[in-house]
Amino acid sequence: MNTQELALVFYTILVQMSVGAFVILGFVHLYAERKSDQKNADEMSDRALLAIGPVVVLGVLASLFHLGNPANAFRAVSNLGTSWLSREILFTLLFVGTGAVFAVLQWRKIGSFRLRQMIALAAAVLGVAVVYSMSSIYQLTSQPAWDSLATPINFFSTAFLLGALVLGVAFVINYSYLQGKKDRANIDIQSEMLRKVLQWIALSSIALLGLQLVVMPLFVSQLSAGNAAALESAGKLTSEYGWIFAVRLVLVALGAGVFGLFLYRNALLNNQRMMANYAFVAFALVLVAELLGRYLFYAMHVRIGI
Amino acid sequence: MANQLGFYVDMSRCTGCKACQVSCKTVNQLPLGVTWRRVVEVDGGEWIQDGEQYVPSNVFAYFVSAACMHCENPLCIQVCPAAAITKRDDGIVLIDQDKCIGCRYCEWACPYGAPQFDADRGVMSKCHFCYERIDGGEKPACVEGCTYRAIDFGPLDELRAKYGDFASPAPLPEASITSPSIVYSPTSHTLAEGSPMGEVMNREEL
Repeated sequence: MNTQELALVFYTILVQMSVGAFVILGFVHLYAERKSDQKNADEMSDRALLAIGPVVVLGVLASLFHLGNPANAFRAVSNLGTSWLSREILFTLLFVGTGAVFAVLQWRKIGSFRLRQMIALAAAVLGVAVVYSMSSIYQLTSQPAWDSLATPINFFSTAFLLGALVLGVAFVINYSYLQGKKDRANIDIQSEMLRKVLQWIALSSIALLGLQLVVMPLFVSQLSAGNAAALESAGKLTSEYGWIFAVRLVLVALGAGVFGLFLYRNALLNNQRMMANYAFVAFALVLVAELLGRYLFYAMHVRIGI
Repeated sequence: MANQLGFYVDMSRCTGCKACQVSCKTVNQLPLGVTWRRVVEVDGGEWIQDGEQYVPSNVFAYFVSAACMHCENPLCIQVCPAAAITKRDDGIVLIDQDKCIGCRYCEWACPYGAPQFDADRGVMSKCHFCYERIDGGEKPACVEGCTYRAIDFGPLDELRAKYGDFASPAPLPEASITSPSIVYSPTSHTLAEGSPMGEVMNREEL
């Protein structure tokens, strides 16, 4: 791996996390609106929405470090006809742009609720297109370790796993902010929504962990049955980088599995202090696990031929 | 492409001296770390039991001189987000370094390792078939530099009519992936693509 590929580790993780958080936040808002009203739903989700902005911008900035010649970066959308990289960059720009427009309208409550909802839906669809085109970049015949269904599955599972858990943290912080406000009329409904949403976040994390644990061995056995380059990649994953692979698996199982379960349990019992702590720990562990996993993705690939 | 140019390598003449590689590097003034034409050494053989002892058997070595294949289906052009790579009318595939963004996507995609990163300039660099020399009626540096006259070039149709269409000695990939504009004359030891019998001995040089 070279430093340019290290930039991609941060770019792909941060952007995927942002897309996942944005999409899931939409569902949370829908739920909160039905459970209470628009105002309470906004109170719960608006600050989290604004927090996505810096994360995605940081990701896009990281991507510039991937370029040997960033002065030409504007040319990167010149081959939309055949290059998935061009498409990915276009979709990323559209996602960031539409998401930013939505965030401003939503924050300032400009335009009707319906209109804002439509813009948010458009941004969410663009976000999914970002992750899809990102994974299509790696569907290269020359790179058997990437040219697999495992790539899109992993990218989407990263998006939703990290997206869900980072929202958990955001909601916990938002709730403690609401608790500190003078007007605490709605704190009970906010507390009720928080613990319900944290339960769903915990269950989704456990489900996505399950998906990862199914895909992982299938992927390794697919590589082991492949050509020389595929075998070399499998060897890198299990020997040269075997310990990173092991640490990554332990961390994701701990974060999404064990702490996911703790989070679910404490949210169910409405044990507020503990569920806040577990939301933080689960996110931190899974973030490190996903960064290591993405590092492996770029460290293990071996090109066929010469 | 009707008038596609291609390279021809007579593997039975090649001794692996790498004069082609050096000639290319000198004429094109390539920086450290960029080697447009590379010579792969593939060795193989086994030990067989002969009474009380093991003796070597089927020992062989051959060399594959390879540069950009100026493919009919160039993956580099397909994936380049900046549209910085183009194919001329005579089939030569060229990188426009003024347009290149240095994302190295072509390096991932090309199974011949042809596009290489020029770290000094931050852009990709690749064999351009010495197009300026060809346009001026000269031969490419590798063709001229080969001490054994093992490398030639010309219209691909003519090369194929003369020498056949073998394009994938191991460790080169299947020709169907990119349809490379190359013809190799194999030796009796040359392994076909995908064979596990030989091993590349000079990976760090490639």
